[in-house]
Amino acid sequence: MNNYVLQAEDVAIHYGGVKAVDGVSLTLEKGQIRGLIGPNGAGKSTVIDAITGRRRLTRGKVMLGTEDVSALGVVDRRMRGLSRSFQRTSVFGQMSVRKQVELASHKMGVSDSAADADAVLEELDLRPLANVIAEDLGYGEQRRLDLALALVGHPSVLLLDEPMAGLSVQESHDLAHHLTALTSRRDVSVLLVEHDMDVVFGISDVVTVFELGRVIASGAPSDVRADPRVREAYLGSAA
Amino acid sequence: MSIQRMSLNTLAALVIGAVIALTVSSGTVLSLLTQAIIYAVFAIGVGLLLRQNGMVSFGHALYFGAAGYGIGIILQLGLMPAELAIVVTLAAIAIVGLLFGLVIVRVPGIAFGMLTLAIGQMFFLTASRARGLTGGADGMSIDWPSTLFGISQSVLLRPANLFMLCWIVLVGIILLLALLLRSRFGSITEAVRDNEERARFIGISTLLPRAAVYALSALVTGVGGVLSALNTGFISPESLHWSLSGMTLMMVVVGGYKALWGPALGAVVYFLFKDILGDYADHWMAIFGIALITVIVFSPTGIAGALQKLRFRHQATPAKAAVSSH
Ligand SMILES: Nc1ncnc2c1ncn2[C@@H]1O[C@H](COP(=O)(O)OP(=O)(O)OP(=O)(O)O)[C@@H](O)[C@H]1O
Ligand SMILES: [Mg+2]
Repeated sequence: MNNYVLQAEDVAIHYGGVKAVDGVSLTLEKGQIRGLIGPNGAGKSTVIDAITGRRRLTRGKVMLGTEDVSALGVVDRRMRGLSRSFQRTSVFGQMSVRKQVELASHKMGVSDSAADADAVLEELDLRPLANVIAEDLGYGEQRRLDLALALVGHPSVLLLDEPMAGLSVQESHDLAHHLTALTSRRDVSVLLVEHDMDVVFGISDVVTVFELGRVIASGAPSDVRADPRVREAYLGSAA
Repeated sequence: MSIQRMSLNTLAALVIGAVIALTVSSGTVLSLLTQAIIYAVFAIGVGLLLRQNGMVSFGHALYFGAAGYGIGIILQLGLMPAELAIVVTLAAIAIVGLLFGLVIVRVPGIAFGMLTLAIGQMFFLTASRARGLTGGADGMSIDWPSTLFGISQSVLLRPANLFMLCWIVLVGIILLLALLLRSRFGSITEAVRDNEERARFIGISTLLPRAAVYALSALVTGVGGVLSALNTGFISPESLHWSLSGMTLMMVVVGGYKALWGPALGAVVYFLFKDILGDYADHWMAIFGIALITVIVFSPTGIAGALQKLRFRHQATPAKAAVSSH
């Protein structure tokens, strides 16, 4: 027995001849933040697609707690606490901030969905924008709304695909702060895909490095940073 | 919109209808208006699908015509009283709409439109060729009984009364839809329309809501068909033809689909155009086409969208002035 909240075993996703993800194993413990880095096209987003059910597995299996969810669809996995945000902002353009966050919370079966939505909006500093239509928000605000949609309903696992992309230094710093606070307060485990090395190495408990659809290194941030293969393949000699 | 505001608007709409029914003495004008209101109901069905689902149907005449055929055939065979025939026909349309919906809403974009067109035409051809029951291309008359819902036919079919009936049905449908769309069903369908993929990732199974919107729009269109059957006492394959679906779609675009009542406005404008221009020009459709293009270019949200923008500006201006005076 183990106490992993999430376990991906030998996961592979092939697009025809392209092996976007080719035999990846990953785990998340309760309350853990795992950073996932790798060069463009390494397969980071695809592995999130695989875990959330957006893409069908070519091979492998995904365990959520003790349940094999490999055969389940996106909706069923989300209902079981597996939640994600998107690299390309994905919100409901014509709906107000509160309406969509409240709807998401309601769909998750939260009894007081209005309170849950307001709490999440508060945590992400979106409360003052609650009545704004999503498409009228600024880019950074939309990123936070995307995150809010993933956060409601008390998910156990959050897969965040470059949540800091396009944010200012200050904004990503704040978001990183939010994330660490969230994991402890909401007891949620996070897989954080991010290009901002300071953020990843700053807030992750463990870091995994991808290259060409495979894991080339995994472990404590300091060990990964020191790994010669990682330095060569990804961080560059300057790191 | 608050419930209070809604009840007020509904009341105002009913009063307007009554005033029209009481003051317009010309039977021709009233029956023109009645026709416009019947198509307004039809157009609201088509507009609903576009508004809540983002889908364009080229085949909704199917449900418009099916209502007439359903009632016509049931009455001809003497299967049940007319009142029940209406209910059964509408229920059947809703169910068929849901079943069709579950299959065809999966088809994206233009392909969906083509599919609705194909299905509609299939039924058009079937009705045109089926000689026995439906009278084929000649159509069939509908044997309405002498009293319907306790009202004698001669009273019901008086132009002012028939107009008022159609008007009440129209207002009722808009009110019911407005109430329904305020509910959870409204926000779910909005979310699915805005971003179907993200909707799944917040736990919404998207197929059923989309099929339900399709079924609802079929049902509303079917109600229009029932009114038409009552108005003309006749049904022919013309009522199933795609050109009717296309015409209604034009009403939806002209009126604007963002507001529930937009398509209804489009229908009225269409019929007024047709009546006024039809007297002067053989090719009034061409003129209407130019009007259509003008609306699309200058107000993609239709006349309703333009009106709402105007009203918004009106309301916003004093508010801004108040803020800046501080
Ligand atoms: N739908 C698809 N069909 C074919 N190949 C795809 C598809 N989606 C992604 N790929 C390929 O799979 C590989 C992994 O892509 P993925 O988006 O997972 O990378 P990533 O690590 O998230 O990159 P980035 O840092 O740019 O976001 C890339 O080579 C990409 O071209
Ligand atoms: Mg990516």
